[in-house]
Amino acid sequence: MVKLGTGEDAVARVAGRFELPGGVREVVVEVRDARRTATVDGKSVRDPDELFGGLAVVAFTPDDLALVKGGPDGRRKLLDRAVQNRHPAHLSDSRDYQRALKSRNQLLRQNAPPALRHAFDEPLAKLGAKIRLRREQLLDELRGHAARAFAEVARGEAPLELTYLAAGRDSDGLDAGSALAGEAKLAEKIFAALERRSPRDLERGYTSIGPHADDLALAIGDRPARVFASQGQARAVVLAFRIGEIENLRRLQGRAPLLLLDDVSSELDPERNAYLMRYLAELRGQVVLTTTDARLVAAAASAEPGFEAHFHAVSQGRITPVDPP
Amino acid sequence: MTVDPIARLTLLFARLPGVGEKTAQRLAFYVLKSPAEYASDLAQALLLLRQEVRLCSQCCNLTAQDPCAICKDPLRDARMICVVESVPDLLAVERTREFRGRYHVLHGALSPLDGIGPDQIKLKELLARLHGTGPDESVQEVIIATDPTVEGEATALYITRLVKPHGIRVTRIAQGLPSGADLEYADQITLSRAISGRREL
Repeated sequence: MVKLGTGEDAVARVAGRFELPGGVREVVVEVRDARRTATVDGKSVRDPDELFGGLAVVAFTPDDLALVKGGPDGRRKLLDRAVQNRHPAHLSDSRDYQRALKSRNQLLRQNAPPALRHAFDEPLAKLGAKIRLRREQLLDELRGHAARAFAEVARGEAPLELTYLAAGRDSDGLDAGSALAGEAKLAEKIFAALERRSPRDLERGYTSIGPHADDLALAIGDRPARVFASQGQARAVVLAFRIGEIENLRRLQGRAPLLLLDDVSSELDPERNAYLMRYLAELRGQVVLTTTDARLVAAAASAEPGFEAHFHAVSQGRITPVDPP
Repeated sequence: MTVDPIARLTLLFARLPGVGEKTAQRLAFYVLKSPAEYASDLAQALLLLRQEVRLCSQCCNLTAQDPCAICKDPLRDARMICVVESVPDLLAVERTREFRGRYHVLHGALSPLDGIGPDQIKLKELLARLHGTGPDESVQEVIIATDPTVEGEATALYITRLVKPHGIRVTRIAQGLPSGADLEYADQITLSRAISGRREL
């Protein structure tokens, strides 16, 4: 529910009751004076880990569609968000990693003594190994699900290939095989690579290796989607990845994650949109979906027996129930 | 214009951490209503705090007498030094009554993002103690009890590399679950660290 005041004391408030294995918990997020506060069961929480721990949420936004053609940063975020649903501690480890990384970069720019830099290289390598392994493990889990979804969305296309591309895979022994040796071994390799690259990193003032420089390669058959995919194919790739994520969570947690879709229908062509709506209707999970054309949703909602759909109109910050179109 | 003494004290109290405007005013009125000696005792205590409290020349703990009570205590084991980031950390370790060695307070941790390097914390003082220029010539073990943050870990590693070559044993306190607590109530980060730091039985 969103309530919005006007002028000085404008407040946006979203409240949700989540059915979790341990019972129902109420999560409330409020934005007031551009400051966000969150409470779980009436108790304020400072750490988002606490807020999202145990709540698996998968969101589709129009920005998703730029992930295939855009820079590696978006694809790393795509991966990391999927990992967070599986491992709630990933968020705090990623933050620690960023802090260690910024510290090292700062030391590089100051040309600090190597002994001081090494003190930060070790936590950086350890956290880096942990983050990379979790990402690769997640990819292994959802690869099959995503490929199946892609085959259904894009009939007749070559198969979807998801590959983890580590920075330094050719030059620093950080290839796909390096992850198989386990976290401690991988951390040692990253540490050695950081050391080996330090002269170059010193010149450039930033760290050139580690999970912050890795990428997720998306390919259709043997053709990299980033270069060759059409707009429609690119959308199918992201859609398949998200569905793979949902299927993976459903398999491992025994229930579908909460889905949030922000105006996705307007970005998809009618055929893919129909596929997505059919998939959502069959999912038997909860979906919150915004659209500018309710008819796109209504057809799928009424086609699936036992599917319960509620329609609400949003106007000037107020939400009111309306009849299905 | 003269400043209202009550308002002045209220404002000063309100600057204390955890004290809001209303509590500050209550405190000011409390002082006003109390016998006059209380106000002068309080004022005296505040002044002495700044005049007399200084760093222990050995462990850098805050103290009114140098060396501090812990460093002076002949029953404390001078062969072990526990390195902590702050005085509250020292007090926390001290409350366990488990540790009977001595301390070293760094007054911070290495943090390039905050501009804190080895010279901004009490590292030189620690090394001087270990290198035998101080009175603690017999240090055999350094226990590093810095926070389990990126900065705390980096500080621990930095100290390790400096100290180990001198043949002194360096240990790091363990991370994991608080005892007496239920596993199900542990937060995910602590629990995941406890699992990765598991040991053979």
